[in-house]
Amino acid sequence: MEPIFPDPTPEPEAAAEPGSEAPAQAAEVAKTEVADEANSVPDEYAPVAGRSLKEVEQVRMLESVAAQKVARDYQHIIWAYGILWALFAGYGIFLWRRSARLRADMDALRRELDGPA
Amino acid sequence: MIRRFLPDGMLLAAALIFPYSVARIFLDTPIERTMGTAFKIFFFHVPMGWLTMLMAVICGVAAAIELRRRSTTASAVALAAAEIGFVCGLGVLLTGPIWGNATWGKPWTGDARQMSTALLWLVIAAYLLIRHYGPSGSRRLAAGLAIFGAVDVPIIYYAVKLWKTTHPTTEVVGSLPPALWAAFWPGLGAILLCTFGLMGLRIRQLVLAEQLDEAWVRVTDREATDGTDLS
Repeated sequence: MEPIFPDPTPEPEAAAEPGSEAPAQAAEVAKTEVADEANSVPDEYAPVAGRSLKEVEQVRMLESVAAQKVARDYQHIIWAYGILWALFAGYGIFLWRRSARLRADMDALRRELDGPA
Repeated sequence: MIRRFLPDGMLLAAALIFPYSVARIFLDTPIERTMGTAFKIFFFHVPMGWLTMLMAVICGVAAAIELRRRSTTASAVALAAAEIGFVCGLGVLLTGPIWGNATWGKPWTGDARQMSTALLWLVIAAYLLIRHYGPSGSRRLAAGLAIFGAVDVPIIYYAVKLWKTTHPTTEVVGSLPPALWAAFWPGLGAILLCTFGLMGLRIRQLVLAEQLDEAWVRVTDREATDGTDLS
């Protein structure tokens, strides 16, 4: 019976006879592969498959908008630092009011003690 | 003499360091690549978190001393530490979700670090409510709560190691690059000086209030014994 899928491995070529040009050709192929590897484009610059140029530009534009938004995210910073300083200012005001009340209490006590004299 | 002016000196030093630390954070520190500007919340969020835990420990230890020796100073230290811990804890619980919203896209993930910190803040709030509004015999209950709060501190610290959390681990500060490290310390120093200065002032107020109460009681007693009205 014939196989449905043909064997992908190529048929081995006839053994090269001594003195033939086969080793020289193999060396040439290997040299070309090394040169291709050296000149090949790095992965990050690999062409985008399945996307039109317009789509790619849109994605890049959105990415740059997002990056700018992250880099200039002042809203969160203002809220966070505003809350922190407001809390400390609030506690400072609380202490100042307590201090004023204590001073008034101390004056009242002093008046009470000095009164009959 | 030094003890008397120490809190004021600390607040003055904090007032001098604060503008420097803010200038360093916003003008000299580079913007973090993945989190962007929102990362700058880190410089005060982390010290506030550390201070909340430190204040809870101070409050717990002082409350235990108050329980054992009935010391007025220990009672004042416990209350002042709890108040500062309440302020710092609120700061952490508000700035954390703001930062989380910017970087995780969600303000609250309910992980172990967040929940244990929220629990500590609630314990501190309960302690303050009992101390301010509880009946005269409720100080022992308040001290018990303060000790419970101090026990929660190691749970907060180890939460990121024991459980899987979205919150960063405890190694973040140690792994900071020099540029961020140099901006972190002035902020921490300023916030430490500010909180300890405020705490010193509050302790002084509480001790003075206690002494004033005793003086009023003595004056009222004298009026009662002499049968004279001094007013």
